Amino acid sequence: MPFTAKSGKFNASINTLTIGTGDKAITLGGENVLPFYTFDAPIENAPKVGIEITDGGMENEPECIQKCYEGCTTVVDMAKAAAAMEGVEFLSLRLEGGDPNGLNKSTEELVQIVKDVAAAVDLPLVVCGCKNVEKDAELLSKAAEALDGRNALLLAAKEENYKTVGAAAGLAYKQVVGAESSVDINLAKQLNVLLSQLGVNGQSIAMNIGTASAGYGFEYVISTMDRIKAAALSQNDATLQMPIITPVASEVWGVKEAVASEADMPEWGPAEERGIDMEIETAAADLVSGSNAVILRHPASVVTISKLIKELV
Amino acid sequence: MGKFVTIGERLSTTAPAVNKAFTERDPQPIIARAKQQLDAGAVYLDVNIGPAESDGEDLMKWAVKLLQSEFNNVPLALDTSNMKAIEAGISVYDRTNGKPIVNSADAAGRIEYLDLAAANDAICIALCNGEGLAKDNDERMMYCQTLLERGMEHGMEAEDIWFDPLFLVVKGMQDKQMQILECIKMFSDMGLNSTGGLSNNSNGMPKLIRPIMDSALVAMAMMQGLTSAIVNPNDLRLMETIKSCDIFKGNTLYADSYLEI
Repeated sequence: MPFTAKSGKFNASINTLTIGTGDKAITLGGENVLPFYTFDAPIENAPKVGIEITDGGMENEPECIQKCYEGCTTVVDMAKAAAAMEGVEFLSLRLEGGDPNGLNKSTEELVQIVKDVAAAVDLPLVVCGCKNVEKDAELLSKAAEALDGRNALLLAAKEENYKTVGAAAGLAYKQVVGAESSVDINLAKQLNVLLSQLGVNGQSIAMNIGTASAGYGFEYVISTMDRIKAAALSQNDATLQMPIITPVASEVWGVKEAVASEADMPEWGPAEERGIDMEIETAAADLVSGSNAVILRHPASVVTISKLIKELV
Repeated sequence: MGKFVTIGERLSTTAPAVNKAFTERDPQPIIARAKQQLDAGAVYLDVNIGPAESDGEDLMKWAVKLLQSEFNNVPLALDTSNMKAIEAGISVYDRTNGKPIVNSADAAGRIEYLDLAAANDAICIALCNGEGLAKDNDERMMYCQTLLERGMEHGMEAEDIWFDPLFLVVKGMQDKQMQILECIKMFSDMGLNSTGGLSNNSNGMPKLIRPIMDSALVAMAMMQGLTSAIVNPNDLRLMETIKSCDIFKGNTLYADSYLEI
């Protein structure tokens, strides 16, 4: 009997989602096949790569990152430098200085940074909070207002603050709403349902389903992404067809394999190489499991992952 | 495995209000009943226009166009003993959200409904009975085989023939209930889709009892592999049971709001 190849194309697809405006706008999703299965059907929108900067101050960055931004004195300087780097398709600004248990910067101060960065770069913008749900509710709502017209992604609304963030970002200012759960497929779905019930258009939601650095419970991240894509495509579950964006950098650059100095761990080799390796490995695994965008920090990781995507799609 | 397919049964000439609306081509009562069913989660709507011997073609076209234009091309089951009316309905049917269902063929006088479905690339409900009720599952499976072969001879995919074991009324045929459930398992083991008028089981029971019996039966039938049923979607208990069973079967992914979507 002759072999007839069967297409693994689904009768459902991931939502198409645009972030940013104008020539630089990026489009995520739209595919009706598993990640990188271009042999089943063309993938129109390749996964996208963004770079992350923070307002947390250069002195808190790993040495190798500091080197990449030599000469930058403000967040705006960093934003301009990052936007010019090879392979960068969007800019992610993490407002970690807002953390009440850290620098505890005021919302006004942080929103001013958001405005300054937005004025300095024309790339699509992602604004990440400080991981404190109360502060983020206020911060991301004000950031949504400040970025009116930029079609930015606010990352993210969580179960605890989705009403505030969803109402400001999704309803009042028509930005893209990030829906963040922590490696819990049922909660990922529930949060999308709750945001939709609030009135947020499902077509304007991107999911951060939670992440980890490779080696740190990462297999749960992978299996969660696999199951989300399976439900979205094979069960045509509209509540899970939102594209996935994964902030890789904030996880990777916090684990000892990436940041321990060579002096402390001589047997592990050069710190910078290790950090980049961790970031690339984590991002590559996220992408093949279904991330439609990854956020990285080291310019060398951005270059490598961009090249990987170009080769595969 | 796909989600359980509910076919809303409330647009039927057996309801006097619907009969009157069909006869008078009065859209409002039809639209209102259709909306109630869709809001409650019905996937397909059954359009039962009765024998409709005189004006069936015109009536079915009118009903299909009315419902599909009003409700974003809702998929429909076309239910009448007038074959020409079914064909007429399909001629104006939009398939965006699913193939039309021909309701229904059997292994005796109505076997040509399968030919009709095949010729029109439709799904066909296939009742596993001949002249009169099957006496046991050997007979049911014989009809099943006849219907399957007939459909495939005419070019149908097996998945487009939805086998109906014929649910029987508990009051009077209680001893046959497990047979029906076993029959569903046989369909399922053969990889076949199945459906049926599930609420038949509770005919003649007090109003308060019926949703309880229907829900229990649908859960047992889904366990056996039933893939669809013709139901009253406005029976909340029944719909909640179906959604819950879909979760247990892995047909849908659980979320706390699963009953609301």
